[in-house]
Amino acid sequence: MGDPVVRRFGAVVALILAMLATQVPGAPPTRSAPAARSASACPAPATPAAVPAAGSPTPAPDVAATPVAFPGGGGDLTVFAAASLTDAFERIATDLEAANEGLRIEFNFGGSQALVTQLAEGAEADVFASANTTQMTAAQDQGSIAGTPVTFVRNRLTIVVPRDNPGGVASAADLGDDGLDLVLAAADVPVGRYARDSVCLMGGDAATYGDGFVARVAANVVSEEEDVRDVLTRVQLGEADAGIVYVSDVTADVEGQVTEVEIPDAVNVVAAYPIAPVQGGDAALATAFIGYLLGPEGQATLQEYGFESP
Amino acid sequence: MPNRRAGTERLAPLVWSAAALLVVFLALPMTAMVWRAWGESRGLTPEALRVLRRAMGLSLATTGATMLVVALLGTPLAYALARRRFPGAALVDTLVDLPIVLPPAVAGIALLMAFGRRGVLGRWLDEAGIQVTFTTTAVVLAQVFVAVPFFVRAAKAGFARVDRDTEAAAADLGASPARVFWTVTLPLARPGLAAGAVLAWARALGEFGATIMFAGNNAERTQTMPLAIYGRYYANDLQSALLLAMVLLGAAVLVLLSVRLAGGNAGSAGL
Repeated sequence: MGDPVVRRFGAVVALILAMLATQVPGAPPTRSAPAARSASACPAPATPAAVPAAGSPTPAPDVAATPVAFPGGGGDLTVFAAASLTDAFERIATDLEAANEGLRIEFNFGGSQALVTQLAEGAEADVFASANTTQMTAAQDQGSIAGTPVTFVRNRLTIVVPRDNPGGVASAADLGDDGLDLVLAAADVPVGRYARDSVCLMGGDAATYGDGFVARVAANVVSEEEDVRDVLTRVQLGEADAGIVYVSDVTADVEGQVTEVEIPDAVNVVAAYPIAPVQGGDAALATAFIGYLLGPEGQATLQEYGFESP
Repeated sequence: MPNRRAGTERLAPLVWSAAALLVVFLALPMTAMVWRAWGESRGLTPEALRVLRRAMGLSLATTGATMLVVALLGTPLAYALARRRFPGAALVDTLVDLPIVLPPAVAGIALLMAFGRRGVLGRWLDEAGIQVTFTTTAVVLAQVFVAVPFFVRAAKAGFARVDRDTEAAAADLGASPARVFWTVTLPLARPGLAAGAVLAWARALGEFGATIMFAGNNAERTQTMPLAIYGRYYANDLQSALLLAMVLLGAAVLVLLSVRLAGGNAGSAGL
């Protein structure tokens, strides 16, 4: 009675090994392409902060800066928004709910790419605010978006290190230091994409950043997170030596725990945030919310939280 | 009697429909997943394939290391708990069971507090130049933490069922205590040990929450299959996520079958 168990356990392991060895069905013959290491592959020259990002949605919105009134009687508004908007949007919701009786705003914050996946799987929302054009386009392509997205805010990258700076990061060039524990968002996450673009720009300046900078930084990445707040948390906890987040993420709450190390404008990347009503959502509420964000009050709050006007 | 029979007859449809509802609820997600995976089984991109193979390799390597640690350290503990009365035995028993009911996120944060860079022990390790977080070692530690109870419980039950008279007979015939253990106790306790090993391995293979919190998500060092499923899903690569899910589903089915086929005794030993 005892031995069959052992033998069967062996059989299970053998079977699994066999499954792995024969590989997955439908897989093409494997001759693993050597290059394309996601972090070290730099695409065509990335756009520095000085130049507006190519292909970004029209910065001059037709929604215009004249705020639209919220429908009388309020209603429930569900907003899917990039994680970096968390603090600013929560504050805006408080303001709006106080000013409009019966209005209730609910948020779902996360990595923009995760929100797109959720929308694809049928999650219900009225507004989608993405941290980059790529994910907004993905949402449009899958039919989740109603109307044309407009850029409502911009953001910039910064390096954060724990307050005691265990990795001794004094400038962006130190990101390539041997043995530094660097945390980035995954490459599909907008801030992860922007961070890689920025590192690529640094790599283009060998005089300042040294040879093989991009590869050295790639080798330092110890963990890839699903949204920008997870990157910040790793640094706040002191588990990572450095992380790349948005300027707006370094809020008053975390200022005591982390120190910012500036990324110079020449190698920084401007993040453009598009926003749009979601297909099947409440169009009136969505339009009013987007209008408020584009209007003077919304913009003032966003700036207070470290964002830049479009 | 007729009344009673009528009662059961009226009850029967209710019982059956409730039972059927639950069975459908359990079966539907699995079936749907297999169905979607079948539909999505186009050729994988080389990039996705690399992620899959790396994740599978990491899962096999880390769960292998985990099982080695669990068996080497878990067997003596199970033996002690089954055979010896010692002060605090009940406390140790509870402690060993705790990770089974503990949410993985709690396990993750607890491991960080102990072995993280600013953790109780991690602080000293860090000063000595040893880093645990973000390494493959952290993956193994997280797996050991959550898997050990499954092994120890089953192994303890296995040891408890060994007939003491057989051991005594061996001792009377002049076998040393060590020889008795290796030639009598251990072979007789093997069903429990094996069932425990299978269950512990399954738990280690599925470990996600503590791993992602404690070991991070690094494609080359810490991204085991569950982490890769999560990562691929949110990268809008449903196909890869489903394929990995299929492999894990297959492994889970095999684990249950192996425990069940090997005899209910051993299977129920730990649970």
